[in-house]
Amino acid sequence: MNRWHAVVVATSVGALLAATAACSSSGSGSGNSSSAAKNTNFSAKPSGTLNSWSFDNADDVGKARMGYADAQLKKSGVTVKYDQTSFDAQKFTTRLASGDVPDVVQMDAQDVITYAAQGLIMPLNKCYSQNNVDPSTLFYPAVTGDVTWKNQIWAVPQFYQPSAILVDENVLQAAGLTNADIDTSNMPRLLAAIKKMYKSSGGNPSTLGFDPQATGNVYLWLLGLGGQVTDKNGAPALDSAANEAALSALKQITDAQGGYAKLKSFTDTFDFFGAKNQFVKNQVGAEVDAQWYPNVLSPYTKQIKIQTVPFKNKSGQPVTVSDDTAFVIPTKSKNPVAACQWALAVDSMGSWKAAEAARNATLAKTGSPNTGLFTGEPAVDKILRADSKPSGNADFDQAVQGFYDIVGDGIALPASPAGQEIQTDLQNAFTSVLTGQSSPKDALAKAQSDAMRAYQNVTK
Amino acid sequence: MTQQLTASAEPEDRQRDLARAVKRRKYNRREALAGYAFIAPWAIGFLIFSLGTMIYSLVISFTNYNLATNTAAPVGFANYRGLAQDPLVRQSLENTLFYAVLAVPLEIIFALFLAMLLARVRRGSGVFRTLYYLPKMTPTVATASIFLLLLNGNTGAINRALRAIGISGPQWLIDPNWVKPSIVLMTLWGVSGTMVIFLAALKNVPRDLYEVASIDGAGPVRQFFSITVPMISGAIFFNVIVLTIAAFQVFDQVYLLFWRDNSNASPDSALFYAVYLFEQAFREFNFGFAAAMAWILFLMLLVLTLIQVKVGNRFVYYEGDRS
Repeated sequence: MNRWHAVVVATSVGALLAATAACSSSGSGSGNSSSAAKNTNFSAKPSGTLNSWSFDNADDVGKARMGYADAQLKKSGVTVKYDQTSFDAQKFTTRLASGDVPDVVQMDAQDVITYAAQGLIMPLNKCYSQNNVDPSTLFYPAVTGDVTWKNQIWAVPQFYQPSAILVDENVLQAAGLTNADIDTSNMPRLLAAIKKMYKSSGGNPSTLGFDPQATGNVYLWLLGLGGQVTDKNGAPALDSAANEAALSALKQITDAQGGYAKLKSFTDTFDFFGAKNQFVKNQVGAEVDAQWYPNVLSPYTKQIKIQTVPFKNKSGQPVTVSDDTAFVIPTKSKNPVAACQWALAVDSMGSWKAAEAARNATLAKTGSPNTGLFTGEPAVDKILRADSKPSGNADFDQAVQGFYDIVGDGIALPASPAGQEIQTDLQNAFTSVLTGQSSPKDALAKAQSDAMRAYQNVTK
Repeated sequence: MTQQLTASAEPEDRQRDLARAVKRRKYNRREALAGYAFIAPWAIGFLIFSLGTMIYSLVISFTNYNLATNTAAPVGFANYRGLAQDPLVRQSLENTLFYAVLAVPLEIIFALFLAMLLARVRRGSGVFRTLYYLPKMTPTVATASIFLLLLNGNTGAINRALRAIGISGPQWLIDPNWVKPSIVLMTLWGVSGTMVIFLAALKNVPRDLYEVASIDGAGPVRQFFSITVPMISGAIFFNVIVLTIAAFQVFDQVYLLFWRDNSNASPDSALFYAVYLFEQAFREFNFGFAAAMAWILFLMLLVLTLIQVKVGNRFVYYEGDRS
């Protein structure tokens, strides 16, 4: 080894040792999320600058709510800065690691517990109580259930857009069927209806009887049909007989329509957000959709004839799930007081009323019907619903009302530290079964094994 | 007399050789300095931005890193042992290897084919080169959106074209057996970077070599294998190394086509090494394990590249070589 090589090796080893030392000496850290929350007086007068990330304020509703909350905090002299880019897991962790921590973040409600389990966000029980807000009465039980773990609430949730089944009455009536035939609690009847509506051309589907939107609604299909996703501690519990039965039912639905591959390739061609969407073109008899989708269809009410039927459990009772968003406060937030008060202001009655006014102004310009704002808060929903006027299109009004009918029937999503991985593993299992690669039993066993490994990783 | 002449000529020859050697050394030094100057921007960037991160990731790979508390508890080789025991690591590696073996040769062949086509264009060559380079400039997300339509098993343009010649196309995005070929197709779309390097190399092949070969009766195929390939072997070698490294790191195409909403083919068949690494780091917060994965990938690529260099040196012709 010559002198130059020796210098390079010595420098590298030195750097390695320095990095190791830095690594182990950083252990004193900032403490855990609970103590960060305990040391904060959330009812104090907020001040300084609030850095908000990922709040979806692109549309009229978002802008109105943002304006309302900004005005509330401005009274205390708080300046709110918005980073409007979408939430991104990699960016979030990188920002936390680098110390560039946002004060309040919007993310999928389903991901909240994953970050809570890592100690990256703080519990907000004190945020609510010190500002005289009771989340158990403010929100639907399913909404708080989505962000509650270990008896603590970890977010300020917003919206609750339940899923139900939109029915194309043109397709249904042409097949001699009624809404009662689209019944997930009666699988033989549903399958018979699907077969009557299904049409193919050249070996490919041209009209589907029922698009179950399977991988996008794994929780609806499992929980709705009596299955289970986690145990009471949040550990995965996927390989149950009830889950196998639900998955088998789903496979029957796709097999009755040319199989998953043909069905999926067909639905991929739908002009989902456009003027030639599947309801305008009568390409589907029934389809699982979230509440926001009628709003997408609202400009085309004259061209479509749709109604809503509920997704029913095995006992015939309406059930629904919703994957919505929530505001969280990172443990290392520099301004948790303003973050808490901003999140509560965005979710307050005043904010939603401002949003309603903005939406009505938009609808007055476009002439589209009001499909409602599903806020996640029963009291607010009731008031906004009372204010809205029917469109005059009886079918479309029924479609909108159908979602209001089920909004209180929600099941909370599984609150697990490995929530993201559980969902991915379930989606893998669904695809694996529907494409015929695995039996429901084998696919769920693999999903359980993979999800459990992820759960053990995140809880170790 | 003869002896006298020889004796007087020897020192002269020696002096001439010495002068040549000094000149060559000077020339070599100048050339080496120029080389260092050219790689200096990269080297400085690497030292400032990458080396520290790499060392830190090596440290992290021997720890259980906790993001919330920014602590790293030493765990020895546990993460590396975990790699050996995790079946998904093996699966992701197999998928990645399969893809690399399929993609790299096809990319080389396709890029060389396009470059040879462009090399023959005389009028409007600038326009054609720009058009052929455009896919490289297109964001991967936009390309993925297009490929989701092109590869649609029922109505996609690729299957329609196959149907026109009597072939029933597969369900590219849903049939697990066609997952990797579909990613290869999308990769081929962005092959224009490789094509440009080949085009530059083809332009440097002396025309008179072809003229002489033609006079000697060599046809186009013989000319291609006996002149073109040896003369651009340096570019081929470079592209093989770069594309192999890229193939082992493939992420965005896979993620966009198969992991966006997990509704296409069973993602087990689309579980690539970089995707699993991402999942471990940012979905499971298993940073130590992910860092170990990254280092194993680095070592694999290092060994593979060294083998390629060793083997490649036997076949590659470097124009500037002096013995």
